[in-house]
Amino acid sequence: MRARRKKRGGVWLTLLPLYLFTLVFVAGPLVYMLVLSFQTRAEVWGVIHEFTTDNYQNILQPVYLNTFLESFRLAIVSTLLICAIGYPFGYFMAKLSPVWKGRVMMLLMIPFWTSSLIRLYGWIIIFRANGTLDKLLMGLGLTDSPLKLLYTYPAVVVGMVYALLQFMILAVYSSAEKLDWSLVEAARDLGATPLKAFLTVTLPLTLPGLLSGVILTFIPSMGLFFIADILGGNKVVLVGSLIQDQLMKAHNWPFAAALSVVLMVLTSLMISLYKRVTHTTELEGLL
Amino acid sequence: MKKILAFALCLALALAALAGCAGTSSSAAGNGPAGSAPGSAPADSGSAPGSAELNLYTWEGMFPQEVLDAFTAETGIKINYSSFDTDETMLAKLETANGGDYDVVIADDYIVETAIAEGLVMPLDKSLIPNFGNINPAYQGQFFDPDDAYTVPYGSGVQTIVYDPSLVDLEIKGYADLWDASLKGSVGVTSNFRVMNGMALKIAGESYNTNELAAIDAAGAKLAELAPNIRLIKYDNLQDDLLSGEVSACVMYTSQVTMACLANPELKVVYPSEGVGFGIMAQFVPVNAPHADAAHAFIDYILRPEVSKQCFEFMGYYCTNKAADALIEAEYRAFLTLPEDLDTGKMEMIQNISAEAMEAHTRVWTEFRQACGQ
Repeated sequence: MRARRKKRGGVWLTLLPLYLFTLVFVAGPLVYMLVLSFQTRAEVWGVIHEFTTDNYQNILQPVYLNTFLESFRLAIVSTLLICAIGYPFGYFMAKLSPVWKGRVMMLLMIPFWTSSLIRLYGWIIIFRANGTLDKLLMGLGLTDSPLKLLYTYPAVVVGMVYALLQFMILAVYSSAEKLDWSLVEAARDLGATPLKAFLTVTLPLTLPGLLSGVILTFIPSMGLFFIADILGGNKVVLVGSLIQDQLMKAHNWPFAAALSVVLMVLTSLMISLYKRVTHTTELEGLL
Repeated sequence: MKKILAFALCLALALAALAGCAGTSSSAAGNGPAGSAPGSAPADSGSAPGSAELNLYTWEGMFPQEVLDAFTAETGIKINYSSFDTDETMLAKLETANGGDYDVVIADDYIVETAIAEGLVMPLDKSLIPNFGNINPAYQGQFFDPDDAYTVPYGSGVQTIVYDPSLVDLEIKGYADLWDASLKGSVGVTSNFRVMNGMALKIAGESYNTNELAAIDAAGAKLAELAPNIRLIKYDNLQDDLLSGEVSACVMYTSQVTMACLANPELKVVYPSEGVGFGIMAQFVPVNAPHADAAHAFIDYILRPEVSKQCFEFMGYYCTNKAADALIEAEYRAFLTLPEDLDTGKMEMIQNISAEAMEAHTRVWTEFRQACGQ
């Protein structure tokens, strides 16, 4: 008994730095942000330590509520497209031979070796006036003048799908790979059509992967405002972009903090909703 | 034995963390008195042993490498160049460092005003800057440093309209022409909202720096009408989109104009008839600069006419060194010196305004961006 207690004490002691680190560098900034969001901005630079809820009331102005709606809209559109492309990709990837699985996995990983910002500039080269896509379409005789593709909403959606697709593919892949294919065979043996076998066996069994893919793409897409700024020409105003404006240009740190707090609360609500719906406690695949 | 070792390691780690905190707080305390009595103290104590280095803090691409190398070759002072993206990042860092860490900072006028007000800037010792007299007086005595006690200007820029006459049917003379329906979906503008909202303010005959909320709201309504013409809002490298034909008219800064016009001499540059907004970039020495004498030596070196010439031709901003004006090559002269017939009475600098006015500006600007995306 005594020995055990001593042992546990040692464990706590070795874990202490980790807890301290988490407390100081994770919880600390969060608390700081929460406190900041209830303070008053100084006239030009800095913060006055006066309690106020003005920052939260400010968010209720239609112009700022719209940025939340815009963020949700873009996240939903992107996530739906990512599901449509990523689910079949991950599903068929799990059916490949081990050698090809490795190769495809490699191809999925290679883009991560380059900064996502640089890869976005690649899309600019493709989309811009007289760029790669324009030249291709005009060469094929499909269009006769440069399309204005860059700095449009579809360009932003393409950028979002491109940046987040891998997360969906890997989540679906990891759950499809664990799938016991003999169950599908059994369903077919018992007379189910391929479609029915897919809908009643494969889909429910790979659903956790799909749903964690949704979480892994939806939540980051709420925050990836630089894609909208670069490919959308700053015309799609997301919450992240507004926070940056308030922080860096307007010097209104308390308002930026309040926006961040609301964004985090909304995001946490999404995760708890996900847990409620799927009855899972951990995310499949990547976490 | 192992347990003791683990315990010792944990202890060391915890101590290191504590020491880190203690270190900053004690140095902050030490800096307090020096900060309240700016001037000779940090210059004397900090610089004597460490003058073989200079910590330069500004945007990227502010100096040609040859100039920096020549300074090191002549004085033996090694330059550590660190860069920031925005003025705000600079001020936040300088504040955290309590006016230390950096020796020379170059930033925009309005933020320099704030930095001076926050007590983060050291008065210059002009006896160490014999070339101080080379500065063009047109850029001195400005709002951010009325007595020229803290700063030396390093380049100035104006916001101009640039357009490609082969793509635009009308002759653009001022901001109001950008509202013309023929420019639908073909205008690119900078993302500085004070400049953009300021366009609408200028059309209404207001000042950039008005604190009247009604005037700012009216400017916002006017700006919203411009939305259908806006193709792109962007801070950096706007000239690329003008050169590639993505947009046919732009509102942009001097250095971008210089780059665009050097690449395509056919482009037309317009000093808007409603008034011209201009800004000055200024060099200053933070109050607790570790190598203050090296900083003064550097500022003086840059003020040499032949060095300034190299710098301004590289940067593409208006030359703030009068002695260097005559040396600037003919091909650059049009871009680096203000046109002689320009009505300087119509020029205005963008300054800090009240918190309420700033909030109105950001709301108006966010509404404008949303309207552009519709």
